[in-house]
Amino acid sequence: MIQEAEKASQPAPRSEAGDVVVETRNLSKVYRDFWGRSKKIALKPLDLDIRRGEIFGLLGPNGAGKTTTLKLLLGLIFPTSGEALVFGRPATDVSKNERIGYLPEESYLYKFLDAEETLDFYGRLFGMSPEERQRRAEALIEMVGLSRDRKRQLREYSKGMTRRIGVAQALINDPELVILDEPTSGLDPIGSREMKDLIIDLKSRGKTVIMCSHLLADVEDVCDRIAVLHQGELKELGRVEELLRVTGVTQIRATGLSAAATAEVRAVLERHGAADIDIGNPRSTLEDLFLEVVRDTESRPGRRARRPAGAPDATRAG
Amino acid sequence: MVLEEQIPQFAAWIGPALLRYAAAASVSLLVAAILAWLAQAIAHGPLAAGDRVYRGLLAGLGDLSLPSPRRVWALARLAIQESLRRNVLVVLALFALLILFAGWFLDPASVHPGRLYIGFILSATNLLVCLVTLVLAVFSLPADIKSRTIQTVTTKPVRTSEIVLGRILGFAAVGTCLLALMGLAGWAFVVRSVSHGHTLEADDIFEVADGEGSPAGAEGRTSLDRGHRHRVTLEAGGSGIAETAQGHRHEVTVSGTTAAGEKTFSVGPASGLLEARRPLRGTLRFLDREGRPTAKGISVGAEWAYRQYIEGGSAATAIWTFEGVSPGDFPDGLPLEMIVRVFRTYKGDIEEGIHGTVQVRNPTTGLRGESLPIVAREFTIDSLLIPRRINTVLANGELQEVDLFAELVSDGRIEVWLQCLEPAQYYGVAQADFYLRAGDGSFALNYAKSCVGIWFCMLLVTALGVMFSTFLSGPVALLATIATLMIGQFREFIARLFESQVTGDATIVPGGGPIESLYRIVTQTSITMELDQTPAVLAMKLVDTILLAPMRVAAGIFPSLSSLGTSDFVAGGFDIPADLLAAHACETLGYVLAFFVAGVFCLKAREVAS
Ligand SMILES: Nc1ncnc2c1ncn2[C@@H]1O[C@H](COP(=O)(O)OP(=O)(O)OP(=O)(O)O)[C@@H](O)[C@H]1O
Ligand SMILES: [Mg+2]
Repeated sequence: MIQEAEKASQPAPRSEAGDVVVETRNLSKVYRDFWGRSKKIALKPLDLDIRRGEIFGLLGPNGAGKTTTLKLLLGLIFPTSGEALVFGRPATDVSKNERIGYLPEESYLYKFLDAEETLDFYGRLFGMSPEERQRRAEALIEMVGLSRDRKRQLREYSKGMTRRIGVAQALINDPELVILDEPTSGLDPIGSREMKDLIIDLKSRGKTVIMCSHLLADVEDVCDRIAVLHQGELKELGRVEELLRVTGVTQIRATGLSAAATAEVRAVLERHGAADIDIGNPRSTLEDLFLEVVRDTESRPGRRARRPAGAPDATRAG
Repeated sequence: MVLEEQIPQFAAWIGPALLRYAAAASVSLLVAAILAWLAQAIAHGPLAAGDRVYRGLLAGLGDLSLPSPRRVWALARLAIQESLRRNVLVVLALFALLILFAGWFLDPASVHPGRLYIGFILSATNLLVCLVTLVLAVFSLPADIKSRTIQTVTTKPVRTSEIVLGRILGFAAVGTCLLALMGLAGWAFVVRSVSHGHTLEADDIFEVADGEGSPAGAEGRTSLDRGHRHRVTLEAGGSGIAETAQGHRHEVTVSGTTAAGEKTFSVGPASGLLEARRPLRGTLRFLDREGRPTAKGISVGAEWAYRQYIEGGSAATAIWTFEGVSPGDFPDGLPLEMIVRVFRTYKGDIEEGIHGTVQVRNPTTGLRGESLPIVAREFTIDSLLIPRRINTVLANGELQEVDLFAELVSDGRIEVWLQCLEPAQYYGVAQADFYLRAGDGSFALNYAKSCVGIWFCMLLVTALGVMFSTFLSGPVALLATIATLMIGQFREFIARLFESQVTGDATIVPGGGPIESLYRIVTQTSITMELDQTPAVLAMKLVDTILLAPMRVAAGIFPSLSSLGTSDFVAGGFDIPADLLAAHACETLGYVLAFFVAGVFCLKAREVAS
């Protein structure tokens, strides 16, 4: 058992040297019922490396195993096989939690506490001093925009408000690794905009963020890398730009091109036998990708849905 | 007060108790490890199971080391907040209601109103406090797991041990506050209910004269208050006492004279109602009707052999030997107090008690003091001061006055012999019924000590409830806790039943185990009747034995709340011995520790998020 006393300051073994914050090896999970009978294979063996300072997105349809993966990383459930290392320590080691902030799927908070009491309580769990708790709570309540509702019990909160206090709770310890399970769910457009700004801000302060979401636009806006899960299997993994690059299409971008020049360029292209010339947005959307993956898997089950030509096995690629 | 076993000296008790604890703990640990291994072996095969159990054990032990006080306090605070927001204080209103009712249905005219009130208040407090903390403890963690709020907590740097300990401490703190408030209110209620006065009118008094006709004082009776009145005897001067009735008496003083020249009297507050006697208890043996030593007195067929009986008008004697009697502790002689039960074979004069004698003897030389007459009145504690200067009976029958401690006490030991004088009537006594009143403690302190006893119960129930709630759902945990306490409550009976079952000796507990009892009920066979030894009956007895075996094991280790209770002492007017309280404290601590550790392991082994 690693004692807390040696916590953050001490350099942890292997992975941290390479700045890998989260590492999973063959991590899998089978939910069993009371009698130990297998009920659901929620995650098939998964290998992931998540580096310091990146925003990592987990995508997948409902029941794909996203939450399961996050819970395994947090040690909330125990892997059926394989292991998850966070900061180089086993996921079941509680001392790693000193440096983690977690926003669960729905903010599971005590309904009988008010916003201030909630943050105070979680602050206490980190052994923070009263002044520090006070200061952090003050700042976070301000940040999530709950200043006016700070004295109300959470049972009276709306869904979005609960979400906001949940985010504040996840950040109470100024964590190095923030794990967000559907951070924008329940938030209004302004709220989700703020949420995305917050995530980007966290990145700019050198934090690592792991999030999962259904809102593809959100993921597309903020994530550096994504993994797509489907029925517990990893289907895609890679940098967002790479995954969304449309091969076989060339994009030409220029400024100050006059209408005549554009026509000339088009003529040149046509002369070279180019078709479907569109001088505009060359990217496909994440939505397309997502739908393609799901449809593809449904029609022919296999390990990888769509492997971009020329790309090596992307599982371990950064 | 019924005291079935002698109260052991703490110093003598703690050693064997610790040994037993260590033995029970290691056996339980071993059994738990084997069970865990079996469960794992089914899923993962024997080798992997061994590895998992070993690692789980290590992880659990690591988890147990040094919980952080800050986090434990944070979680305890949460538990308190939760209880308050669940309106736990409503129970105080319930208690107030109970007190109001108590004033109405408890009969102040009963033989011992003080005992009744104290007994009622303490048991109501005990029940309410334990019940409230039990319900809080049992439902809290399962609710947390169900609502998944536990996930937000366990993803903070919180150890399982801190979650369990915080819960136990938090609910115990709530229980403590409730207990303190109820204890204070109950105290006020008891003191107010039993305190009363009487008035004494000149009309109710008549002068008495001594043999020569000169005035020797007066006798009379007080007014009827709270369902009783006292006989009054006054000295010639006018002051005196209102004699014992309902276990107490009053001082009577002359307060003045009226214009008509009659004296007016004032009757003081009750004394002897709320006491905390410190007894020096002895050991009891018997002589049969021919005067031969015998192990037991006569059983008059009472269902329960606590008291033994001696026959009147015969040589049958009950003999107590007291040790550690010194003139320093008893400068004025030995204040002997006695509870003597009476078993009448004919009614006789029911108003009069049954006559008998008490005699002191030197256990070494056999020198005996003169017989002192007593009259056994049922249900009251009679007192008799054996004087310092006492007549002894010499071999030739003459009396000689000697010093009690010089001649009758040897090595601090003295015997007290009790005989009943009336033929065909019986005296019933138990070892705890005769004692020397070595002093008095404060009643308030005694009441507080009894509340501490309730506190132990509360702590134990809370820890047990939290332990079960780590792996059972709320209602099931509640049932499990209650079942555990039930088995603990009847642990002596279960032990005897098992013994009876194994030895086949139906006299220990007649009627047999569960299935046999059911069979007897269905076939309407009396429990004392031997069943024919048919193969079916033998099989039934075998199954009973198998069923009883685990219960017997459980009875050996489960806690008994009633054995922690000390309200009998307070109600009976006896000081709670410090040794007993210390033993109870250790017992409670031992159980709470065991439940805590078990709870941590159970919660640790569980996926709280699934
Ligand atoms: N406690 C559990 N017991 C049994 N099966 C479970 C449990 N939790 C999750 N599952 C199953 O595991 C699979 C993955 O669930 P998970 O919660 O990880 O999905 P998800 O990707 O987070 O979905 P969503 O987008 O709806 O949140 C689902 O099929 C689900 O039914
Ligand atoms: Mg999910």
